[in-house]
Amino acid sequence: MALVELNQVCKSFQAGEETITPLAEVDLSIEEGEFFALMGPSGTGKSTLLNLVSGIDRPDAGTITVAGTEITGLSRTKLADWRAAHLGYIFQTHNLIPVLTAYENVELPTLLLKLSARERRQRVELALEAVGLGDRGAHYPRQLSGGQEQRVGIARAIVAHPKVVVADEPTGSLDSDTSEQIQVLLQRLNRELNITLLMVTHEAEVAAIASRQLILDRGQFREREAVH
Amino acid sequence: MVRYVLKTLWRHRTRTLLTVGGAAVAMFVFCFVGAVQEGLTRLTTGSEADRSLIVFQENRFCPTSSRLPEDYAETIEEMAGVDEVVPMQVWTNNCRASLDIIVFHGADPQQLQRTRSLQFLAGGWQSFAARRDAAIVGRSVAHRRGLAVGDTFTIGELSVQVAGIFASPLPSEENLIYTSLEFLQYTRGLETAGLVTQHEVQLRPDADPDRVAAAIDQRLRAGPVATTTRRKGAFQASTLADLVDLIGFAHWLGYACVGLVLSLVATTTVMSVQDRLQEYAILQTLGVRPLMAFRLVLTESVLLCLAGGVLGTLLALAALAWGGLAIGAEGAMIAFRPSFRLAVSGAVVSLVVGLLAGLAPACQAGTTSLVTALQRG
Repeated sequence: MALVELNQVCKSFQAGEETITPLAEVDLSIEEGEFFALMGPSGTGKSTLLNLVSGIDRPDAGTITVAGTEITGLSRTKLADWRAAHLGYIFQTHNLIPVLTAYENVELPTLLLKLSARERRQRVELALEAVGLGDRGAHYPRQLSGGQEQRVGIARAIVAHPKVVVADEPTGSLDSDTSEQIQVLLQRLNRELNITLLMVTHEAEVAAIASRQLILDRGQFREREAVH
Repeated sequence: MVRYVLKTLWRHRTRTLLTVGGAAVAMFVFCFVGAVQEGLTRLTTGSEADRSLIVFQENRFCPTSSRLPEDYAETIEEMAGVDEVVPMQVWTNNCRASLDIIVFHGADPQQLQRTRSLQFLAGGWQSFAARRDAAIVGRSVAHRRGLAVGDTFTIGELSVQVAGIFASPLPSEENLIYTSLEFLQYTRGLETAGLVTQHEVQLRPDADPDRVAAAIDQRLRAGPVATTTRRKGAFQASTLADLVDLIGFAHWLGYACVGLVLSLVATTTVMSVQDRLQEYAILQTLGVRPLMAFRLVLTESVLLCLAGGVLGTLLALAALAWGGLAIGAEGAMIAFRPSFRLAVSGAVVSLVVGLLAGLAPACQAGTTSLVTALQRG
């Protein structure tokens, strides 16, 4: 069974008198361990799809099942619990909490799980090591570079051992060198930790690192050959 | 998660300090107003206020205008329900409302010893009885005027030697100076030999105060001077009638202070949440429940309010304890004192106001659209 499954999902927005339908009866399935990239120009609904899979937005119609849970019918509280247990989210602009250190930012999702203090510390240290920031735990976001901030964001997304990690333009705000480092890191996480990744990007070279790529165009998917 | 709240408050420390400072000032005033009201309540209620009567000259108000024959005491003492009568000469430097009023009560030292529960902090009854111009001074007056045992204190025509400093279970009494009755009666300029300002009547436990008061006035109606007799509490409330109205009005000032703290903390919390709506959306995207986001905001507002409120309350209690302040008029005094009740009400009001101030922004943080809030960044 697919880890992520979208069934006849529709989503429309009202923009003045015009109705925009970025997703029209969309079907999609992503297998466990897959690195899936969704491409397309701006405004085609890539982020909308990511938001729906993350449960921070709701579809107008259709069902979304992630890791065996049909999330479309869950309450806001249940969705929060579900996200805490099953989902990691990598933001485009890092979105670290400025008043917390890198360590505390990464620790946040673990505070929502039933873990002992020791286990929590181990997980945070491992996650920071995994992104190459084991020595930056005490730094505040303002003391980190953009690339380091994004690494902390990635560590925060994987620390709770989620079933699926979604990444919204994870390299969108980085220079090309840092972007490359983040791409390598995402690839490593997918291969070495078998994390299922759903990434949205408008950059073809970034999408190229994924094992499967789709283009979202006028509310429908179109296959794109993976480049390896 | 409390660490997150504390760090947020610390990061915006200027805003935090200003809000805490504002709340502290408002709660300081609130506690002061509360202390004045408690002082008035203490003065006009309680066993002392209900179980003793004051016989005053009819239609007179300021102590200087009431002149009753001293021998009325013998007549009153014979009446049913009366335990003891203390003829008392009262002298005050100011009949109008004042914060630094000096009130002398002249009475027989032995009667004072019997009828008052004074605890000497320095000196004692013996040295009081030993000199004609000796005076025992309430600790609040002594503190305000810097008096110690052995000092000479002069005001107007009166000059006394401080023979003792006392504390009393009745805070208003700590603003009095007791001398012997003769000393006040024979002071130059007062010309009150054989006269007193009032008679204080101690009642037997089974006596009905109002009935005894009516009987006294009825009995003395035929005498040279007609009297008005009231319970001590009612007498003091009537003496301080103008101040009572003012204090009644002042309690609105207390409510205004609570309103001020509410609006101050609510404004700060609303601004803080609106600035950080994206942060709350990030937290919820990571898995923080909406109710937890709600509680985080509420905790922030309660902490702000409690910090300011408790600080203001403590400062007010310290000022009340240290200042020994009292307001008086026509010889009656309302003492402002710190109390456990005041401390608790300051803390409780701060807590409740903190909760109320945080409600609307907490709802906003807990119910905001995550997608919209995330896009704001």
